[in-house]
Amino acid sequence: MSLPPLKSRPQKRLQARPSTRPEILPYGDGAFLVQFQTQHYDPNVTDRIETLKVALQKSNDWVEIVTGYNALLVSFNPQNISPDTAVKHLENTLRTPKKPLKTGRVIDVPVCYGGHFGPDIDAISQSSGLSTDAIIALHSQETYQVCMMGFIPGFTFLSEAPKALHHPRHATPRLSVPAGSVGLAGWQTGIYGLESPGGWQIIGRTPSRIFDSTRAEPFLIKSGDSVKFTPVSEADYLKLDNEAIASC
Amino acid sequence: MLEILNGGTQSTLQDAGRPGHRHAGIPSGGAADRLNFALANWSVGNAWDAVAIECAMGGLHIKFHKDTIISICGAKMWAQINGTSFQNFKPTSVSKGDILTLSYARNGCRAYIAVAGGLKGDNFLGSVATYIPAKIGGLDGTALKAGDHISIADNPYGPTRRFPNGYVPRLSQHIVLRVLAGPEFEQLTPESQRQLFVGLFEATAQTDRMGARIKGANTKDIRILPTEPISMVSSPLLSGTLQVPPDGLPILSLIDGHCTGGYLRALQVIRADLWQMGQIGPGTRVSFRRCFAPEPLQILKGRNAFYGAEYGGLIDGFAF
Repeated sequence: MSLPPLKSRPQKRLQARPSTRPEILPYGDGAFLVQFQTQHYDPNVTDRIETLKVALQKSNDWVEIVTGYNALLVSFNPQNISPDTAVKHLENTLRTPKKPLKTGRVIDVPVCYGGHFGPDIDAISQSSGLSTDAIIALHSQETYQVCMMGFIPGFTFLSEAPKALHHPRHATPRLSVPAGSVGLAGWQTGIYGLESPGGWQIIGRTPSRIFDSTRAEPFLIKSGDSVKFTPVSEADYLKLDNEAIASC
Repeated sequence: MLEILNGGTQSTLQDAGRPGHRHAGIPSGGAADRLNFALANWSVGNAWDAVAIECAMGGLHIKFHKDTIISICGAKMWAQINGTSFQNFKPTSVSKGDILTLSYARNGCRAYIAVAGGLKGDNFLGSVATYIPAKIGGLDGTALKAGDHISIADNPYGPTRRFPNGYVPRLSQHIVLRVLAGPEFEQLTPESQRQLFVGLFEATAQTDRMGARIKGANTKDIRILPTEPISMVSSPLLSGTLQVPPDGLPILSLIDGHCTGGYLRALQVIRADLWQMGQIGPGTRVSFRRCFAPEPLQILKGRNAFYGAEYGGLIDGFAF
């Protein structure tokens, strides 16, 4: 038996629109995505998403507000707020012009690059033609925006790494990447908050505990913050690591 | 006090979860099958969201060190007390020294064991829900194992309650989930869009609280339009999303699923059906039925009115 194919509706794609004009897409029956058209890191979009997040946080309508590189997700209880009301709320917030706020903190993250903490730094060295020292200098000179947290608690998705350092993920992910590992994937750079499987190219490790459920403030970094990496020696890494263990 | 003699495949302490932390990478989690969890608590006279034991697949053995009342709701695991069969959905007194044994789940995947007064566990961000990837909640953030002792909480509880006709959820080895098209549904080939709704799928062995990898039992792999990029920028993800990776084997994100993902989001299970995903285990057949707004909201209101006391149903404060 062969059934006729479902008619594919014309795609609602916005073209030739500035990247900061988003569309509101339904995501199930209790969430919306505010979707921007960029497929890369765009500082204007990140600013816009961050400003939007702060504006939406003032309302009790939303159960979750999650920021991403090119989208913001809001979820709500449809029994309490009708989807139409939720869309109107979002549209109104989008219409109200807001100056980008710089509310985030700059978090200093010490990193011991290379060696057994950064096993993939040689691969980056080969693809970029840069020495290890040049990679370290390049990677740590930038102040990165925190665009998104997740996919595991504490995983920090940062803004674009310098072009020379762009490198594809491992074809086969490692079964275990230690907590604190600093990595590169495509144009992205980020930090593993917890030990987990992962395919990113690991160039270093921080002794800072990005996620620690026993700490009064379990999350060291929040979306909206910025991150500045400071290269440290292995001796300093071990010293800081011991301090972190002692404070647990 | 309860003593775990055998933890089974995976047994955890769960409650109603910790919503509101997905921006930090923490899924709300909690009981995978919210309905049977709530019913177990309701039947022993607890508040619906009291901490209870979730047992996946079976194999859990518990010794009671105190007289108490328990109720088991959800998957049928041929429970026995001291070797005598114990019925699901029937709150029953147990005595000090009694041993409860659960065999394997023959229908459904997860059973909930509620104890009058509730249970105690580690609180993190306002919830005791065990979330194993971050080692939070429950007992030391991990699954229950032989030798663990769980304290009974002293929350107030009412008399035991019997289920009126029609209130015991039917479990099936074939779960039909009602869905809405996800944000990237249109990026699938028209044939694959159709296959998702006419096809029969089966959860593979790669199925746990985080997600279920599903495979078409009588369908071809699900394909992405050749004009579309096979991977997208990582973006927020919800539980109940069916993602399609380039290999064509879809992944259904479950209660402890990742908060972000980089594969296209083809379908989203409606809120009223999310509880059913808690009964998906390896080998469970799954199919999807498409909904269009405002049907999901009508279904949700109907279900909440049936079960939630606020709308005329049974359980105080409960909503899907």
